[in-house]
Amino acid sequence: MEVTGVHHAYGRRVVLRGVDLRLRPGVLAGIVGENGAGKTTLLRILSGELAPDRGTVRHHGGFGYCPQAAVLNDALTVRQHLNYFKVAYGLSDLARAEEVMEVLRFSEYADERTGVLSGGTRQKLNLTLALMHDPRILLLDEPYQGFDWETYQRFWDLAGRLREDGRSVLVVSHLAYDAERLDELWRLHGGVLRERTTEPTA
Amino acid sequence: MTPLRAIRRHRPLFLTAARYALIEHLRNRFAMVLIALFIPVWTALAFWSVPGTPTRFRLRATGHLLTPHGNQLTEITGALNAVTLIIGFMMFAASFTGGHFDRRLALAGYPRTHLVLAKLTSLALASAAVAAYATALTCTFWTPEQPALLAAALFCAGITYGALGVAFGSLLRREVEGMFAIVMTSVIDLALQNPLYSSSSDGSVVRCLPSYGAMQAATGAGFSTTPLPKYLAIQAGWFTAAALVALLAFHMRTRNTLGKTGRPRSAAHQPAASPVRKMRFRQCSRTTTAECRVSQGDPGPSVQDARRIR
Repeated sequence: MEVTGVHHAYGRRVVLRGVDLRLRPGVLAGIVGENGAGKTTLLRILSGELAPDRGTVRHHGGFGYCPQAAVLNDALTVRQHLNYFKVAYGLSDLARAEEVMEVLRFSEYADERTGVLSGGTRQKLNLTLALMHDPRILLLDEPYQGFDWETYQRFWDLAGRLREDGRSVLVVSHLAYDAERLDELWRLHGGVLRERTTEPTA
Repeated sequence: MTPLRAIRRHRPLFLTAARYALIEHLRNRFAMVLIALFIPVWTALAFWSVPGTPTRFRLRATGHLLTPHGNQLTEITGALNAVTLIIGFMMFAASFTGGHFDRRLALAGYPRTHLVLAKLTSLALASAAVAAYATALTCTFWTPEQPALLAAALFCAGITYGALGVAFGSLLRREVEGMFAIVMTSVIDLALQNPLYSSSSDGSVVRCLPSYGAMQAATGAGFSTTPLPKYLAIQAGWFTAAALVALLAFHMRTRNTLGKTGRPRSAAHQPAASPVRKMRFRQCSRTTTAECRVSQGDPGPSVQDARRIR
């Protein structure tokens, strides 16, 4: 994924002032920044949700996007979500999705409506929908919100295995607790990305 | 692409989206309660509480002077009011709460055409069911001259307000704004046309109201034997206009700023960065033949590699 000179403003409030980013295959990378620094705006631009005012985004391969807030349909069950996205991605089966559900330990909720699920379980499904087509690039916006400690650890194990498989994983967070798990870490500050060492800072 | 392959490709896309759109409506408990209670209560109250005194007015659709009972005339207006509010609310609720989900589906590669056709199908089915139900209830109190035309008029009004509901759900930012917009549109629309309340119901302004065609057709269905296809066509025109606004709002809301090349695809469709570790799916089902051939012809790792995530 190559990002060049991305600018974005909401009215007069300039959020991104020329973001450049290159995400190589097999890299687990992170972007940290304070609240309101523009992390979610950047990820929405990278995922195609939002058009930048200036700049280009190039994906050399399919990607999966896990939005910060779980984007689900409360009237549908977990299984119905998986079937819906199976058709969207053009998959022949749900083998991969079921594997991810096993890893995140929420297979038993397959027939529950998402409207009655806990925040953590909703987030697990949110993440599964981004992973179930085995994309080459993963864009994850605070993907472990609502996870308990054990699920949080399993998430990082999963991210590590994806990296081993040659996938590029970009995790956005307002904290840098997980810096030691990352290959590359950028800080979004003043509307630009600055590369920094992978040491815990917050 | 041969017609058979086109059907195989498009059918699951349409059927899946249509099935889930219908399930979403059926699981809207408040709407179901409104259908079960609001329509009969409104119909009964309109019929029983309004005096049955004959009311003289000239129906523009036929040019004839009619003298229906006041309670029957009010009941028709009540049925139109109930159908438009309920269908408008159902479509607004689905559009308002499901907007982000639709965008996620579209960004994931779900063709928007199929999503739109599925929504239209669910709208048509919901409107047909509610219109038939309201007509049947009407027939329990009194017998309209043309029950089928009454059902058709209610159906046309329902789909028009359903399309308006989608447009409001896509354009307005707060739920209360949308509900208020639907209720006020329906109240103004129908109150101005009711000859009991307004002496200007034959005036030129009412001809521009969203349910003018349906009101003329429904009133004619109640008290005249003249077929009124022209007024159903006028209502269909209103539906088309509302649907176009809704379609434009949906298009704006679900557009992919990365263009077609930025759509998510599975890794099985891409050249592997690390062939030894490549995860594969067993088949491609909805990508171009060329992409599938490249992927399946690649002597990469076996299916077992796809299980390594465990």
